[in-house]
Amino acid sequence: MTTHIPRRAAFGCVLAFAAAPAFAQDAWPTGPLHVYVGFPAGSSPDTLARIITEPLAERLGQPVVIENRPGAGGVIGIQQMLANAGDDDLTFGTTINGPVTTAARMMGDTGFDVAADIAPVTLIATSPLVLAVSSQSGLEDLEGFVAAAGAEEEAIAYGSVGQGSGAHLTAELFADEAGVTMLHIPFTSYAEVTTSIMGGEIDAGFMAPSAAMPHVEGGNMRILGITSSEPSAQAPDVPVIAGQAGFAEDFRAELWNGFIAPSGTDAAVVERLTTEITEILADPGVQEQLLAIGWQAAPGTAQEMQERITADTQMWGGVIDRIEAQ
Amino acid sequence: MGTWEGLVTGLNFALQPGVLIFCLLGVLLGTFVGVLPGIGAMAAISLLLPITYYISAEAALIMLAGVYYGAQYGGAVASILMRLPGTPQSAVTALDGYPMARDGRAGAALFAAMVSSFAGSIIGIVVLVLLAGWLSRVAVAFGAADYAAMMVLGLVAASTIGSARPAKGFAMIVLGMLLGCIGTDVNSGAMRFTFGQTELLDGVNLVALAMGLFGVAEVIGNVRDPERQAVTEKIGFRQMAPTRDDLRRMVFPSLRGSGLGSFFGALPGTGSTLSSFLSYAMERRIARRPERFGHGAIEGVAGPEAANNSAAITAFVPTLTLGIPGDPIMALMLGALVIHGVQPGPMMLEARPEMFWGLVASFGIGNLLLLILNLPLIGVWVALLRIPFRWLYPAILIFICLGVYSVRGLTYDIVAVAGIGLAGYLLALARFNPALLLLGFVLGPLIETNLRRALLISRGDPMVFLERPISAAFVVAIAGLLLLSLVQWVRRRRRAIPAR
Repeated sequence: MTTHIPRRAAFGCVLAFAAAPAFAQDAWPTGPLHVYVGFPAGSSPDTLARIITEPLAERLGQPVVIENRPGAGGVIGIQQMLANAGDDDLTFGTTINGPVTTAARMMGDTGFDVAADIAPVTLIATSPLVLAVSSQSGLEDLEGFVAAAGAEEEAIAYGSVGQGSGAHLTAELFADEAGVTMLHIPFTSYAEVTTSIMGGEIDAGFMAPSAAMPHVEGGNMRILGITSSEPSAQAPDVPVIAGQAGFAEDFRAELWNGFIAPSGTDAAVVERLTTEITEILADPGVQEQLLAIGWQAAPGTAQEMQERITADTQMWGGVIDRIEAQ
Repeated sequence: MGTWEGLVTGLNFALQPGVLIFCLLGVLLGTFVGVLPGIGAMAAISLLLPITYYISAEAALIMLAGVYYGAQYGGAVASILMRLPGTPQSAVTALDGYPMARDGRAGAALFAAMVSSFAGSIIGIVVLVLLAGWLSRVAVAFGAADYAAMMVLGLVAASTIGSARPAKGFAMIVLGMLLGCIGTDVNSGAMRFTFGQTELLDGVNLVALAMGLFGVAEVIGNVRDPERQAVTEKIGFRQMAPTRDDLRRMVFPSLRGSGLGSFFGALPGTGSTLSSFLSYAMERRIARRPERFGHGAIEGVAGPEAANNSAAITAFVPTLTLGIPGDPIMALMLGALVIHGVQPGPMMLEARPEMFWGLVASFGIGNLLLLILNLPLIGVWVALLRIPFRWLYPAILIFICLGVYSVRGLTYDIVAVAGIGLAGYLLALARFNPALLLLGFVLGPLIETNLRRALLISRGDPMVFLERPISAAFVVAIAGLLLLSLVQWVRRRRRAIPAR
């Protein structure tokens, strides 16, 4: 979590890259940019933001300061971005999908209205989830897993990183498509889920590939499928769930991370940022850095991000409806 | 690689100047943030993250680990001198450390804290080297039912701490547990007692609670007495050094504390907090004159300090053997490695043996550096107490605000600490012990989560607590402890009746 001490450290660090004011002729940016991140320094969404903003600072000729405001699954980061936005168009944020798609449903009131208060800039990256089981279990492949889960109600207990988390909703979407019911055991971190699977307490879990793969290599876990539409570069041998074991060809459930602005931000500024970030994400070095922390670069237009927010809000909203109806 | 061979490799690695300097930097910063209550290891680690991008993965881990265990040393300072704990385990140190300081024995209290911290760390390192494999199997075998039973045992064992009236101690624990209910319910996602405030969704800020109940309450309590100084005369080395009696009293509590800390530290979650409280409770229970506790018993400083430091070392067991971080700070440390292309996991150590042994060797070196660094500082800290309270307290309040703000960067928490401080003052007037409130606050939600998780997994069958061997052992221990208390109570009543 941050204080102005780390902020100053980040400031100094970025200043080094901001030596040449390449766009000094433009009025914007008139000062350092502040990018709000709803997770603590060192976490995966924070590292992602730092990977993107380092070259961004260089390109804009202004330092970019990361403001970590962790809490409520990333919602506090957005609240703080909105609360601290001035009319100088220098305040932005990065967010994972939850706070702008499902949070309003889960929390009732997030203190902001996604449609009215937030202007999408661009998607940065996506992350699929993998279905992990213990290597000691008899669950060998997706067919076998679905059969075991369908043997009786709640035959399979799975762990997630919390009620309403991406891992929870993905598992429920999976169960619904497979026509089975599974028992949800909420944890608070992938570390806990991993330990519980390895200890044989629970049977399975949908996890970030980066959290699960090391334990596959270590021989403690087995992965039965991945939720992306294509095999992931991180886990190339893992088969996609789509089209297998009775799942639809278009089955896809991904978490994502995007760059956002307060909705009053000048359209030209948003457009400039979309262009810069898209160019940054085209750099293979940046793509590799993102992949190391579990994110697949996925830039696009502001319009595309808006569509993704709308589509995901609807898809996950449907899943939440079914969970609540149970 | 054999243990001996590994240690030699590790020492060779950790003693390279290019690595040693980062170890020193880590423990220095750790001490610094430990002394400033509330600014925890998490803030310090995020401050150091940019540096880690430019050094090797091993050096980065050694540096960040230095912050982690270094902060445990510093935490004792503010608790002893000013009753200003930033963590629940430092709150335990304040129970007897602060009364010692008020008696003019701050030097002895700090000495006890530093030396037992060192002893605890060294024992923790030995346990880590010899028993890491066994401890990691225990950690994996621990299920939700086992955690729930273990924490209930912790609460029952610690409930007798620092209160003449058991009912008052019990009341504080329950109040702490109720405060712990605030926030999002892990199981249902429902928001409990948040009154629409998103700042409360993750619960009450622990740092604000600790510093409000102790620090702010203490400041309010002393407002009436602005000219007072804790120490009026210049203190020489003689008054500072512990007496022979002090040293004798420190030995066994330190050893017992280290044993508790080494075991509980390896279990992900609350090893450090739980073992500090258990160590204190244990020392009080076996002491010949338990009434000394709370009024400056050096055993009450030595035991818990040894416990939390050995716990800080064995907390690395799940990280190092399984590649699974035991707490959020450890997760951030591992996150720093990813930038170097090191994927945290069980294979990390096979691929890089110098990482495991280098880190273990750096624990020894780092703790030695901490001891050398901290012992001479005792004089400086004690001299601080000569400043009259009216000058000291405004500064303390500023540090409290800084510490609380550093956790999440929200001014909301500064307002909260003021309110909690006022409540803490009222509790102090009524002679309630706030340390127990903190214990209830930390353990309550964990007990609830694990209890409900265990019952979910067992599909509602409560027998799970007796069927699992680990949990059953804890349940037996809880029953034994309650029975023991009952027997003692009956005996006391019997003795009391003829006197009437």
